[in-house]
Amino acid sequence: MGDSAKRVRAQSKICGRLNLIFVTVGNDFRAFDRLLKKMDEIAPSLPEKVLVQKGYSTYCPKHTEYFDFVPMNLATEYLLKSRLVVSHAGIGTIILCKQHGIPLLILPRRKKHEEHMNDHQLEVAQALEKRKDGNIHVLYEEDRLREKVLEILGEKGRGRTVEDMGRLNLIHAVREFLQTTLR
Amino acid sequence: MKSHKKIGLICSPGGHLVEVLQLEEAFKDYSFFFLTYREKATLNRKDTYCMSNFSKNPFSLITGILKILYIFLKERPRVLFSTGAEIAIPSFYIGKVLFRTKLIYLECSAQVYTPSLTGRWVYPLTDLFLVQWETLLSEYGPKAKYVGGLI
Repeated sequence: MGDSAKRVRAQSKICGRLNLIFVTVGNDFRAFDRLLKKMDEIAPSLPEKVLVQKGYSTYCPKHTEYFDFVPMNLATEYLLKSRLVVSHAGIGTIILCKQHGIPLLILPRRKKHEEHMNDHQLEVAQALEKRKDGNIHVLYEEDRLREKVLEILGEKGRGRTVEDMGRLNLIHAVREFLQTTLR
Repeated sequence: MKSHKKIGLICSPGGHLVEVLQLEEAFKDYSFFFLTYREKATLNRKDTYCMSNFSKNPFSLITGILKILYIFLKERPRVLFSTGAEIAIPSFYIGKVLFRTKLIYLECSAQVYTPSLTGRWVYPLTDLFLVQWETLLSEYGPKAKYVGGLI
């Protein structure tokens, strides 16, 4: 775990505020630099802090904190602290965001850019887009990433607020207390 | 596997109970029991102790205290959790003073600007004190925390 991840973790213990845009590209051994570069470029102009899980990507963001991998429980914690998750069209992230009602913007990894072995992520993205689920947003090219992120965060009722997250944050706070107290 | 370490969940029936049940997931790794009032709206489950409602009849506080003592001796809770109402006051004081339990109090989401009587009573004793409105933080001391609310 990198220093930045430790820092975020320490902060997250202090309060349960939703102040993150969590970017995650999963565990595939291929890089997904296309998303990371664009995210890095637009991060300074976004209203929330961006935290990046870069996996095996070669690009290291200059304007955001990042780490390559953290254990699942910590990744889930970041997810739960996010107003918006931006990710590849990976199943793990999609399930977790769906389960917890977290708005998700997906940009599928493409075969033509050697981001994945085939275009299954494209199919997943298209299938989800058809469903018109208010919580899942799809982009196919990264050029409009900033507009899309701002649109989701700005839309009324979209982009989570601390109010939406109350129950989970309370459960988290109580669990954390019990775990430290009842060791 | 569930830990044998016990948690006592203490609340009056109705909204306070609904709030505890909303957070049941937080207690899933531990064994726990409920302590509530004997009312029509009370939970019908095996893990529930009931005492008479001393907010209706103050004299029943005496038998209530004995009942709390009996339950705590039997169950030996390590942590008590409550969302109110006043049933938390004798339970928390007995728990803290006689059994050295750790105490978690979650102020009910009905308290937006004004602290509850129970909240004021138990605040000094609690180890984790949570409020459900940011506007309530300034009414309590630095120990109070806000991480969100249920409504």
